[in-house]
Amino acid sequence: MTHFTINEEIMNSNDSLPPFTLLIEDGDTTAVYSDTEMQDELVKVLRNNGRFTVFDQQEGLYQRISVAANIAFFHKWFHCETPLPEILVLFELQNCAKKPLHKCTESEVRRIYYAKYFMSGVRPLIFHEPVHGADIRTINTFLHMLQKLKNSQIPVLILVSNMEHALLLGDIAYKLGGNGIQSLVVDEEDSSVEESTTPRAVTTTHFFKIPAKVDDKVILFDPLEIDYIESQDGKAMIMVNDSSYMLDSTLGEMEKKLEVYGFYRCHRSYIVNLQKVREIITWSKNAYSLRIDNNAQSTIPLSRTKIQDIQEKFSLK
Amino acid sequence: MNIQRISAIFEKDIKDFMKNMMLLMMPLIPIVLALLYKQMSNGEEFPIYFLYLNVGIAYSSVTSTCMMTMMAEENEKKTLRGLIQSPASMVDILVGKSLVVGLITFVSLTVSLAIIGSDPLLNGKAILALILLFLFFLFLGIGIGLFSKSISATSAYTMPVMLLFGFTPILGSLQLDEDGIIMTITDTFPIMQAIELHEKSSWVPLGIIAGWVLAAALFMYICFKKTMTDD
Repeated sequence: MTHFTINEEIMNSNDSLPPFTLLIEDGDTTAVYSDTEMQDELVKVLRNNGRFTVFDQQEGLYQRISVAANIAFFHKWFHCETPLPEILVLFELQNCAKKPLHKCTESEVRRIYYAKYFMSGVRPLIFHEPVHGADIRTINTFLHMLQKLKNSQIPVLILVSNMEHALLLGDIAYKLGGNGIQSLVVDEEDSSVEESTTPRAVTTTHFFKIPAKVDDKVILFDPLEIDYIESQDGKAMIMVNDSSYMLDSTLGEMEKKLEVYGFYRCHRSYIVNLQKVREIITWSKNAYSLRIDNNAQSTIPLSRTKIQDIQEKFSLK
Repeated sequence: MNIQRISAIFEKDIKDFMKNMMLLMMPLIPIVLALLYKQMSNGEEFPIYFLYLNVGIAYSSVTSTCMMTMMAEENEKKTLRGLIQSPASMVDILVGKSLVVGLITFVSLTVSLAIIGSDPLLNGKAILALILLFLFFLFLGIGIGLFSKSISATSAYTMPVMLLFGFTPILGSLQLDEDGIIMTITDTFPIMQAIELHEKSSWVPLGIIAGWVLAAALFMYICFKKTMTDD
């Protein structure tokens, strides 16, 4: 089987994208996280120069006929090997099979798109924002599909603009920024953090604020305001009510300072304010997420190794 | 050509057709008109040109219009994106849709002709003319359907096709100068040639209709090439 590579040749001197090479092995699910602008450029490049098909759910489906008729058509058209009933079950469409498409919910329609792309037989599969705004059940069917694709040794590339999605969907997650492509899971915690000592933190616990610099102002945040902290380029980024502020310190330093306020390092790249956790979501491939009780209802990844810890903290066990 | 794909698109479009009120009305037009004429005629025999008027209406309103509308809908909603990997799959789609349109046209035409009486049309030459006429209107519909981007644009394209080629026999009743330029030109139109086939015993009218079919096929081919290179 062939690998799938994105290299300079495909990029073909595009000014808006940094030069990079990305090799995707068979059976690998790779997620690339970037801002929307760069993502659009990348999609354009993949479509025009690479002649790849990018699945972005922008094309129409047949609104008048039923879900089953739609799936049956694609199934026959793409000459799909998997039996039709199995497809319906895999994408949890068996319950709405008789419904015409215009009466289906957004999530059901999205699962039809997944089914269509799954059956299309295009290799490699490139998805553009596949789970943006999807409900938990739909994300789970998508994960099931990825598992199935992985078993058939099919390379998958997923382009997302949300770091949590990149970490959840991809076996390997990258961040595409102005200075190239980097692997998202950085091992910055163990080495540097251990050295920093704690006594300083103890003296300030009575009156402790987190300073974040914005332009020429310094904003002081009460730790309890913070929803969660995300690591970006080795720097901690605090999320407060849908806005984010860059800090000067690393995630490791923040973890030490904030532990006493009920913060917890739930993932290499995330620290969460446990008081703001509303839900613990269990995904199908033995992955977990935490849902934060803020306006955006953001979900952040929870490492497999930390689930025990979290359950103890919330006295679930 | 891929039989499986053709049958996939055929099944899909038949289902879609049955749910589409706009398209379902089309085959009813010639049937309703035939019933009306029948009522008005008081049992008299219909003149030949009347039968061909009905044929023209059936072909232009069912064959051409349905084909155009179906293609335009796929173009408008971009439903074909991701399905077409090569010109061959586009041909599959066109053939599948033509089969649907052919079936509907056949039903509509048979019913309407059964109402007003089809005896004069039941000979080899006339049937051949009917088949050629069907192809002419089909090719015309495919050609226009390929480049029409939306359903609303299609209604604009439908009018000239219906008025010029479908309703040509009506022009004779407009009291225009028999030898005037308009009559001379419209006399060579396919439906008029089919009527002439019954008046003369020569095969020339069939040849002229075949010429029209070729022209429509060429038009369709050009549109096809253009859409395939555009993408």
